[in-house]
Amino acid sequence: MKMNFINKLFFIVPAMVLFSCHNDLDVDPTIDPDSFTEENVFANETEAKSALAKLYASLALTGQEGPAGQPDISGIDEGTSQYSRMLFSLNELTTDNAVVGWGDPGLPDLHAMSWGASNDFTTAMYNRLAQEVSFCNSFIDNAQSLTNSDEVDAFVAEARFLRAFAYYNLIDLYADVPLVTQVSTNVPEQNSREEIFGFIETELLEIQDLLKESGANEYGRVDRVAAWALLSKLYLNAEVWIGEARYTDAITYSQLAINSTYSINANDENGDGSAYDELFKADNDTNGAQNEFIFAINFDGNSSRTYGGTTFLVHASRGGSMDPAAAGINGGWEGLRTTSALVNKFNYAVTNSEDGDPIEWADGRAMFYTDGQNLEINTIANTFTDGYAITKFTNVDSEGNPGVDEGGDFVDTDLPLIRLAEVYLNYAEAVLRNGSGGDIQTATAYINELRQRAFGNNNGNITSGDLDLDFIIDERARELYWEGQRRTDLIRFGDFTTGSYLWPFKGGAQGGTAVSEFRNLFPLPSNNILINTNLTQNPGY
Amino acid sequence: MRTLYKALLVLLIAIPSSIYAQESSVSGTVTESTGMPIPGVNVVVKNTSKGAVTDFDGNYTINNVQKNDTLVYSYIGFTTQEIVFVNQSTINVTLEEDSSTLDEVVVVGYGTTAKKDLTGAVNQISTEDFNKGQQNTASQLITGKIAGVNVTTGGAPGDGSNITIRGLGSLQLNNSPLYVVDGFPISNDAVGGSRNPLDFINPNDIESITVLKDASATAIYGSRAANGVILITTKKGKGLDFKFNYSSTTTLYTPTDYVDVLDGDQFRALVNEVGNDAAIGRLGTANTNWQDLIYRDAFGSEHNFSTTGNIGGFMPVRASLGYSDQDGILKNDNFTRTTAAINLKPSFFDGHLKFELNGRGMYNENTFGNRGAIGSAVDFDPTQSVYNPNSTYSPYFTWLNSEGNAQYNLAPTNPVALLNEVDDTAEVRRFIGNAKVDYKLHFFPDLTATVNLGLDKTNSHGRTAVSQALPSTQLDWDGSYSFYENESTNKLFDAYLTYDKDINDHSITAVLGHSYQSFYNDNFSYDSEAEQEGNEFEFIDKYEHVLLSYFGRLNYNFDDRYLVTASLRADASSRLNPDDRWGYFPSAALAWNINNEDFFKSNVIDQLKLRVGYGEIGNVNGLGNYLFLTRYTRSRTNANYQFGYIDNNPNFIQTYRPEAINENLRWEIGQTLNVGLDYALFDSRISGSVNAYINKTEDLISYVTVSPFTNFSNGLNANIGDMENRGIEFEINATPIQTEDFTWRIGYNIALNDNEITNLPDQVETGGINGGTGNNIQLHKEGHSPSTYWVYKQIYDENGRPIEGAYVDRNGDNIINDDDKYLAEDPYADITMGLNTNLNYKNWDFAVVSRVSLGNYNYNNMASAKSYQLRATENSILTNLHADTYNSGFQNLTDGNLQSDYYLQDASFFKLDNITLGYTIPNVFSKDSNLRIFGSAQNVLVITDYDGLDPEIYGGIDNNFYPRPRLYSIGVNLNF
Repeated sequence: MKMNFINKLFFIVPAMVLFSCHNDLDVDPTIDPDSFTEENVFANETEAKSALAKLYASLALTGQEGPAGQPDISGIDEGTSQYSRMLFSLNELTTDNAVVGWGDPGLPDLHAMSWGASNDFTTAMYNRLAQEVSFCNSFIDNAQSLTNSDEVDAFVAEARFLRAFAYYNLIDLYADVPLVTQVSTNVPEQNSREEIFGFIETELLEIQDLLKESGANEYGRVDRVAAWALLSKLYLNAEVWIGEARYTDAITYSQLAINSTYSINANDENGDGSAYDELFKADNDTNGAQNEFIFAINFDGNSSRTYGGTTFLVHASRGGSMDPAAAGINGGWEGLRTTSALVNKFNYAVTNSEDGDPIEWADGRAMFYTDGQNLEINTIANTFTDGYAITKFTNVDSEGNPGVDEGGDFVDTDLPLIRLAEVYLNYAEAVLRNGSGGDIQTATAYINELRQRAFGNNNGNITSGDLDLDFIIDERARELYWEGQRRTDLIRFGDFTTGSYLWPFKGGAQGGTAVSEFRNLFPLPSNNILINTNLTQNPGY
Repeated sequence: MRTLYKALLVLLIAIPSSIYAQESSVSGTVTESTGMPIPGVNVVVKNTSKGAVTDFDGNYTINNVQKNDTLVYSYIGFTTQEIVFVNQSTINVTLEEDSSTLDEVVVVGYGTTAKKDLTGAVNQISTEDFNKGQQNTASQLITGKIAGVNVTTGGAPGDGSNITIRGLGSLQLNNSPLYVVDGFPISNDAVGGSRNPLDFINPNDIESITVLKDASATAIYGSRAANGVILITTKKGKGLDFKFNYSSTTTLYTPTDYVDVLDGDQFRALVNEVGNDAAIGRLGTANTNWQDLIYRDAFGSEHNFSTTGNIGGFMPVRASLGYSDQDGILKNDNFTRTTAAINLKPSFFDGHLKFELNGRGMYNENTFGNRGAIGSAVDFDPTQSVYNPNSTYSPYFTWLNSEGNAQYNLAPTNPVALLNEVDDTAEVRRFIGNAKVDYKLHFFPDLTATVNLGLDKTNSHGRTAVSQALPSTQLDWDGSYSFYENESTNKLFDAYLTYDKDINDHSITAVLGHSYQSFYNDNFSYDSEAEQEGNEFEFIDKYEHVLLSYFGRLNYNFDDRYLVTASLRADASSRLNPDDRWGYFPSAALAWNINNEDFFKSNVIDQLKLRVGYGEIGNVNGLGNYLFLTRYTRSRTNANYQFGYIDNNPNFIQTYRPEAINENLRWEIGQTLNVGLDYALFDSRISGSVNAYINKTEDLISYVTVSPFTNFSNGLNANIGDMENRGIEFEINATPIQTEDFTWRIGYNIALNDNEITNLPDQVETGGINGGTGNNIQLHKEGHSPSTYWVYKQIYDENGRPIEGAYVDRNGDNIINDDDKYLAEDPYADITMGLNTNLNYKNWDFAVVSRVSLGNYNYNNMASAKSYQLRATENSILTNLHADTYNSGFQNLTDGNLQSDYYLQDASFFKLDNITLGYTIPNVFSKDSNLRIFGSAQNVLVITDYDGLDPEIYGGIDNNFYPRPRLYSIGVNLNF
């Protein structure tokens, strides 16, 4: 009897267990409280707004933990992978505006203009932007499952704007890339710069009425003025990018943006004589600067932490004898400086030191730190004191108080990606490049509005006779330096690779040298070329 | 087996048998020394075909036996006995367990076999051959003993080992072998707070370690066995009388060497020469050897007590207690472990029903000396004193920021402060137990049903308290506290049937079974700083995966000459999508015992076996749990994003990120072909094997570039390439001298392995290094070994000094960038050897273990990141330099200098791992009691050309390495 029982047990028990455990193979990831399904995320408008926030956040932050952890991009240091930090690396470090002393992989090659096809920065930027396109495509697709409402329509329009913005960056940096508007794992085909230009234009024109009215959206989210401003940038570059002059359109959409509710910040909150520095302070979301920010990415020393963004700009630019506490941080990273080429663009109303180097400027935008710094650079690597330092970005507010992070690590300052002053300059340039619909007097007035703010008086004002393209490129440097525009501007003026304009260490030579024209474009990532045979590498790489 | 003895007969002088024979019958019972009956024993009348097999009660009967016939009793794993029949009616026989090599029982997956019946590449090392001296962890016991098995053990107490068997089989997945303890495959995932997943098992409890190297042997374990299998068999109760063992070891650990940095005077001279006034002004007057301050001579001791016996005559039992308390040479580092184990093997119904119960508990307390001190002791200015009573962070000397109110943010932290002011402790509790039931069916005794239930539960708590006194860059610093708790639960259910049948010359063993294993992890952590900031401060991380399998194996043995093994395992992993979830992994092996052929009779050669085996194994070990599912991850509160305001306060909202998804993930498949020859000569005085193998990994999973725009990340794990390992192994164990008083044994093994990625459309950077941000030094690329160094070719001047920034422009475009880097050497040895010897003279025993590794290259990251001259004075502080600054003369830290092949060095080595001398006093208290006293030295000698601290660095990147100490131990071992 006993035997029988045991015999049966050995066959029955296993059989029972066998069948029950097959279902266990379907494990549920949402046992982790941080993990969600598509149904959770697109369950309603409130949840979907969190998905929309990621589309913005992926331009500001680098992962889901902050400041580091669960990164969006792999294969590169997480902080380095932040969008605006890479934009700085590709569009400022490659120019007269900036040098850096660090030995990060591929970093010294940027100012030396000797980057290769597998450069970490050109690769990671491409990946970041492509990822943003994928995030947007997924959001646009999934948002269709939401109940229709004005808010949901605005969500989708904003996602389309962010996708267009990513493509704007892609054709600026890389030219011919795949145009992908649906989530698909199919290896994509390559599209021409013209096709993508057309896509961006069509999208922005379509969404201009779907985005909220000027000033009607909450801070941090774009409205239709952003579409106009981006169109003005797009058209301004059309001649270089697609061989078609679109300056008239540039004027049209610049004018729309200028006539919107946005305004040049004139509020000199800290009373230092210029309302320019307020744009880059820790309270620039409230001190009036926000009225000028058509599209900004938001940071917070506590709630939105990254080692990129303004945390990078404030820390990396501090070193030498600079007092980090004056910038609201606990210490500098001893990296970024500028070349004398930028300093020399502020060659008016200057106070010089005993050895003849400038130390004070009437133009409030000349935010250089000179104490212990050499104007001219002998050594870039590991030598912070070669080259003037720049204090433009800071983590103190208009009252002089540091940001919210009591540890002094992470910065509050928001970073404008498009601000109205740039649109003013776009307008003036388009007029000078013979676009119609604008005029030189209006352009001069816009420029003077910027210069009056910079000087705190009208001593720096110009006449319409002074306003020419040479003036514009230098004025863009003075107004917009370190804001991620410089390379694009130099290319538009034919100065980036050629010998027509040299700056210290351009092309790796101390006195500067021309480099091959192919460096007007960055390479498509070499590892991408390896796995996608549809792609043709940019010439020269 | 019968054939073997038939063959032996030929060698023997014929035993005279009586021609006046009188026929009668004989019966009896065959038992083990424990009194347990042994079923299945062959009883044959020598030189005839007459015989019988014992039944499940160990009983046998043979008719028609003649006087002076010799009865031969043989059973696997036991010494064969011969008894001459002189008309006894009953002959009861007790068989002794056999320790001779060929009949040695070898543990294989879901069963055992005799060594001579093996068809795969399998090594088994038993207690007497284990490495002696102080051994913390199971893997150390076999270091250097087996060809192709490379064990690299860390220098901290309780540290784990990296074990690779026959090179790397995978790029992205786990390359560790599967550990199976008493039939329980354990998870080799790291457990928070624990130093080593094998810590739970006290090496003193281990009876034998079996390494299954080729796929024909491992395939029965299916998907987790791609990197080989290490079967650990613990000691079991034996004998009828209770016996006891006590052993104790006391060990002194001493640092052997320090990283070569400038001393105070050298550093002063350098700064005075190259520094500006500000830098020179920062110089101190001291001569501080910071490394000397963070390391120490450390002591450790361990005590083990065990007993073995039998309860009630039917239940062999073994119980043990172990306690180990060891300090690390890094100050504060301590490892304390208490283990308890019990094993019961009761059997009922005349051996038809057998239980095996294993329970094993561990309580482990770890104090982690702060590892940051290792790097900062190299960095810290040797001209400064440790203490500065006037400092903001009194008493510690600290580099302060310009305001003097916090530590300068780019300064190293005082290493002594790091050790004193950071308190990092953890306790790990682990229970691992299994209950195995074997039931030999009464109505069909050839069939045995086995069920094995197992539970492995680990609970760990850890905390890090950083005191307010630790110099910090944070202005509001008031210390921090973090806490974590991890719980992992692994459950096992195995059920299988074993069919065993001998018919004449044919012998069949078949196994058919099912296995279910689940792995569940629940982690919690808390961070006081986050709480103070008002951020999210409690984190939960939960995940699980499940493995479901069916397996079958057939062993066929014809006349002990031809052996065939075939197996098939079907595995399903929850980590793969339902369509690709099931993998089928077959294997087949043939072996030919040439020595049993009639044409090959030799009184010299005991064994000559030719083996050929082929097997396929899947692998998803170390793969993420849910990669094929659509998932979103929310942001933590530090990574939220501002949308507008609520009541004039910024409104930070959580974000959802879609995760990269790969619906097409499949099994990575390893295919191994192994050809081997086992040999034994001169009564097994010389034995060993030769193996040659090719191991191809197909559908290799690698973290690779995703085509941009097609997914939610730029990289993910995908089945993308192929890899190949080829190698040859040779092993020889010899006993040149064997007399009553003197035995000399010597073992030598050599393995050649060549590892190559044969197909990889992408190239994958790997091997992150210190210096700059985000520099890598290695590359996975088709046509090369994994992790091959990817470097610039340094140009040297006529004096042989490297010229800074001058590299060979390999593509000739007059620009030096990534395109000029080349693939140089790799960190893995081409040839590894082990040489060990044992001498026993009367009561003395002496053992030496040594290893050789050839062709492994290291990247000296300590020199590359810490020797550029500007480092001494950059960033408004002083930082010490690696002494290689005198050789290279490099000024800057650039990505070029860091990635120069100047820092790539041949790290081939010879290591004298272990010398042990022991003396045994027999009958010390009474008969059957003995006492062994021993002394040993470990990590005795290293011969290498490599300039860094230690040439043996897993992965090849020498950076802030915890130095391996030299060990001197004395100990006693008492049996009574």
